[in-house]
Amino acid sequence: MNTPIEDGNNHLRYAEYVLGVLDADTRAEVAHEVLVSGEAATAVALWQRRLMPLTDTIREVTPAPYVWARIHDALQLDAPARVAPRKGLWDNLQLWHWLGIGASAVAVALLVVVSLPRPTTTPTVVAAGYMASTIQQDNGSTGWTATMDLQHARMVVVPATPVAFEQGRAPELWLIPAGGKPISVGMIARDKPTTLTLDPALLAQLGPTAALAVSVEPIGGSPTGQPTGAVIAKGAIGAAPDAGGKVAMIGDKPTDWTSV
Amino acid sequence: MSATTPTEREELNQLLRRTAREDQAAFAELYKRTSSKLFGVCLRMLRDRGEAEDVLQETYATVWRRASSFDASRASAITWLVTLSRNKAIDRLRQHREELLGDPSRMDETVDEQPTPAAGAEASQEYQRLQHCLDELEPQQQSSVREAFFTGATYNELATRCKVPLGTMKSWIRRSLMQLRTCLDQ
Repeated sequence: MNTPIEDGNNHLRYAEYVLGVLDADTRAEVAHEVLVSGEAATAVALWQRRLMPLTDTIREVTPAPYVWARIHDALQLDAPARVAPRKGLWDNLQLWHWLGIGASAVAVALLVVVSLPRPTTTPTVVAAGYMASTIQQDNGSTGWTATMDLQHARMVVVPATPVAFEQGRAPELWLIPAGGKPISVGMIARDKPTTLTLDPALLAQLGPTAALAVSVEPIGGSPTGQPTGAVIAKGAIGAAPDAGGKVAMIGDKPTDWTSV
Repeated sequence: MSATTPTEREELNQLLRRTAREDQAAFAELYKRTSSKLFGVCLRMLRDRGEAEDVLQETYATVWRRASSFDASRASAITWLVTLSRNKAIDRLRQHREELLGDPSRMDETVDEQPTPAAGAEASQEYQRLQHCLDELEPQQQSSVREAFFTGATYNELATRCKVPLGTMKSWIRRSLMQLRTCLDQ
């Protein structure tokens, strides 16, 4: 695309890179050059200095508080010491993957027990820790698994298998209190874990009598505040095992512990 | 802009240097002072809040891991940060451009199309100089440069949007860039 004649000025490509007009392949080439060549890095830095002041005209927008919470979690920045005994569980990526793939709530509960540290060292600090829900599709297969961390007011929703959505549609998660109207928890990803912050109003409604449901909504969420599309998956909320190693079974009887 | 005075700029440089030494308090403070600007940039380019949040998260994860590569002699911390977020936003746009553009509902995201009047005393000196140089371009070329910068569009996409041949768009932009450099480096 850039013949030597067109690109008579050596640094023009770096300018185009900073401006952002190059296609993906050419961008990657220049990005690589910047890494290996000091000259390229300097040229790009000069163009950044020339052009970046344009961003002065962009209106600043404060991001929602959960973005920092997500960054904090992803980088495993220091957490308060009292949650340390649980950190292993909450941050265990393999467990989340497994939660997403394993369809049976029993298996989920069992795995959690197996993977918990032995309760010999620390007494249980938190009384009501986690709640969980297996959100099943109509055909019986698991759509998502939700785990709620009550102490930190957050919920992680892991897809079991990516559900297909038509263009412009996305899954929205709802909390349905017993006998009450659905309350939007938030948009969730169909193909990767989503972390949601639970506001106090939602937190107050969480309990064994409430349920979770997923409906098909426009990308930005239901315009009415109530589900507008088909409900494609539902699940009851149960207590998740606490750090002491006790298990509240979700939805089925405990069988064959040893085989897990 | 969140860092217009030399003092503010230097404070951000310091915070980024401390972040490079894994100082979490400095990193948190850096986020507090720069995330609104970076989020504004991401939102302006991606026009989707969820996408912008993802890119913002990726940006600060990279800041934490790669802060040691920050070199204040090359760029100020705020320029480094804005560049990082723009690069990540552009990469994201290249990944699924059609998905983003093909869905009109994404355009509903409240994006302030009108630039903030960064006029008078509030505008940085750098911006005033750049604006002066942009004003010397032909109107059509100036608007192409702005469109390119703010939307992260490729030459092809810009040509389609402006309904001109690809070659025309390329020569507009390239000529503009050369003119800008001459004007700014005077």
